Amino acid sequence: MADIPIKVLITKLGLDTPDRGAMVVAHALRQAGMEVVLLDTFQTPEAIVDAAAQEDVDVIGVSCLSGEHLRLTPRLMQAIADGGLTDRLVIYGGIFPREDIAVLKEMGVDNVFMGSLSGEFIDYIEQNHAAKRSA
Amino acid sequence: MSKIETERLSQAYKEKAKRLKTWSGIELEPAYGPRNGGTDYAADLGDPGQPPYTRGIHKNMYRGRLWTRRAVVGHGAPEETNARFKTQIEQGVAGLDVITDTPSMVGLDADHPMAEGEIGICGVSISSLEDMELLMAGVPIEKVSTVLLPGGTQCPVVFAAYVALAQDRGLKPSQLRGTISNNPLHLYFCGPVGKITNPMDLSLKLSVDIIEYCTLNMPQFHSGYSNAYDMRESRIGAAQEIAVGFAEEMAYIDGALARGLDIDDFEPRRSMYFSAHTDIFEEAAKLRAARRMWARLMTEKYGAKKEATRQLRFGVHTGGSSLFPQQPLNNVVRVAYQALAAVMGGAQSLHCCSYDEPVAIPTEGAQQIALRTQQILAHEAGAANVADPLGGSYYVEALTDQLEAAAGEFLDEIDQRGGFLAVAETGWLQAKMDEATLNFQAEVEAGERVLVGVNAYTTEEEDLTPGGVFRVSDQAERLVIERLQRLRATRDEGKLRTAIEALAQKAAAGQSENLIPAIIDALRAKATKAEIGGVIRQAFGYSYDPLGMLENPFEGNG
Ligand code: B12
Repeated sequence: MADIPIKVLITKLGLDTPDRGAMVVAHALRQAGMEVVLLDTFQTPEAIVDAAAQEDVDVIGVSCLSGEHLRLTPRLMQAIADGGLTDRLVIYGGIFPREDIAVLKEMGVDNVFMGSLSGEFIDYIEQNHAAKRSA
Repeated sequence: MSKIETERLSQAYKEKAKRLKTWSGIELEPAYGPRNGGTDYAADLGDPGQPPYTRGIHKNMYRGRLWTRRAVVGHGAPEETNARFKTQIEQGVAGLDVITDTPSMVGLDADHPMAEGEIGICGVSISSLEDMELLMAGVPIEKVSTVLLPGGTQCPVVFAAYVALAQDRGLKPSQLRGTISNNPLHLYFCGPVGKITNPMDLSLKLSVDIIEYCTLNMPQFHSGYSNAYDMRESRIGAAQEIAVGFAEEMAYIDGALARGLDIDDFEPRRSMYFSAHTDIFEEAAKLRAARRMWARLMTEKYGAKKEATRQLRFGVHTGGSSLFPQQPLNNVVRVAYQALAAVMGGAQSLHCCSYDEPVAIPTEGAQQIALRTQQILAHEAGAANVADPLGGSYYVEALTDQLEAAAGEFLDEIDQRGGFLAVAETGWLQAKMDEATLNFQAEVEAGERVLVGVNAYTTEEEDLTPGGVFRVSDQAERLVIERLQRLRATRDEGKLRTAIEALAQKAAAGQSENLIPAIIDALRAKATKAEIGGVIRQAFGYSYDPLGMLENPFEGNG
């Protein structure tokens, strides 16, 4: 099993465009041996879920910088549920008020990484993706 | 003291300078002296106010007038941003600086399906002339210097709305002071927004329309600036920042010259937007080098005759990407150094980021500290009293020379590859930027580059942001959409169609028609921003809706 790389979708959500973080994260995950699907900007929640299903990813990673996270995340989580992907790890990274981390988790996001060094989220993915998928 | 504590203390005592390079990677000597110079005072420096303006464009510098202390603002509905102006004026800003939200940046009206959840979050929502009226309600626009920061190909519409507003108030456009961003080309390097929503031929055509309109009608208004700042944010170096900014500006210059304008007529009313990151000496040297290089470029390449054309004017935005979410209050200190560099480098205007830059758009309190930073610089730190205080420093002069040389090399390379438009199309420059982003990250991860609170001197982060978090009102979205729907329902369809048809015809004429007057007419006939933008896009062969989701409502029998 260890030979099959972990597959991660990295995407932006809505009209948020700063894309440096998504690129850095995609690069770091590839360096760590994961397979990364990096989507273009301007994704609707529904399009993200379609792509995640089609690519059969283990992890949905959203890079969110422009402050729409609280307004768009409920729609994304709903689309994930509608698409039957609740067994995938959903992680966020980017810029958020610390106050919102708990709110995002309440909405169903598994973990939130901001301004972090890549070791943190690589470890987290490695340790948690399988458990979530088999749960 | 425990053993560990003793060890720590002695480690800390022995700590020495670690990364012996500038922020952007220039290797440094332990000390600089006369041997590093080769500068000829008269030819390479000159007194402040003298060519090549290395030491500043004014003899008296800030004794004549301080730099314009600005603070970018924009959130929610227009009336909400308008209310914030009043707070800002009380805090002591010297000019207004308004940014639009992401739907506006992309060219969408507030009721576009993709605008849901995005309205007013990152700027003010503007869809119509009515929105502009509300934004500027009570602001004497003939007396205030205002910077308008809409995105890309939306600039002509927001600009036209500002002009229409002036005319409706019985003012002449010539009375307006301020700046329209008008820099759609740099968006090619700001994520995919550029390519998708700002096609290059259209971007260039519309930006030249604004330049031409301002040159003919608005002698006090700046027709735009090239945005070196935004492009530096991908973490290219200081020298590269100068080069990409100049390369962008040369694209507009070439466009305006091709329109038949004279460089000495339009270029004196344009400017540059630079960044200031935390390495004080490198950033101040960068600004000095840029001025010298510009004076030479204007003379040698464009045969400029007016001194004003050769004098590089610029605003500075402190480097947002050099502020970090960990221990956010540390950013107050970083911004102070960045602002000091900007002022020692002779900036004409300055926006200081707030310490909560990596959190959300700023709270009033955070923005006040950012403004106070400028006021402390002006009145306590002694930074405003003497022009070019770093002039003659062995180190800074050497850095100035090195940055100018490296910027010149990079600009030449862009030139050889066909200029700014060409390197945007081919992806060559974007690849350089991507490399810079990844290099920076690798240096941070390896600990080679120390970022305080990020990869060194870390502490457990607080759960709450000090000073709180700014939250955009919940009512903004409903307010602007209702207003827009009312506008659509109550406008005179006949007048609207006439104005839209006239605009479409002029747009189809290509370069020969300046579209600003027709845009003003369309705004008066209550066309919306996205309708105007869409009709122009179609005339150039692009989809009506920037995201390809909506149909042109004026086609067919409507
Ligand atoms: C650089 C920058 C830009 C550049 C972007 C260039 C580019 N090509 O991306 C430019 C200048 C173009 C820009 C534009 C805008 N920006 Co800006 N920008 C920034 C800035 C200063 C830094 C972002 C950055 O690139 N950091 C470097 C990267 C590498 O870090 P990062 O993204 O945080 O990623 C790290 C981690 O967060 C994590 N991570 C990130 N994503 C993910 C995903 C996963 C799955 C994981 C596990 C981890 C992870 O890993 C990364 C490595 O450590 C931030 C403020 C700040 N200091 O953060 C504002 C900021 C994001 N911008 C902001 C705004 C408002 C805008 C605009 C909308 C302004 C406007 N009104 O037009 C426009 C965008 C227009 C649009 N349509 O969206 C706001 C957003 C406000 C909010 N959140 O409420 C911010 C926060 C600044 C502010 N306080 O006002 N911006």
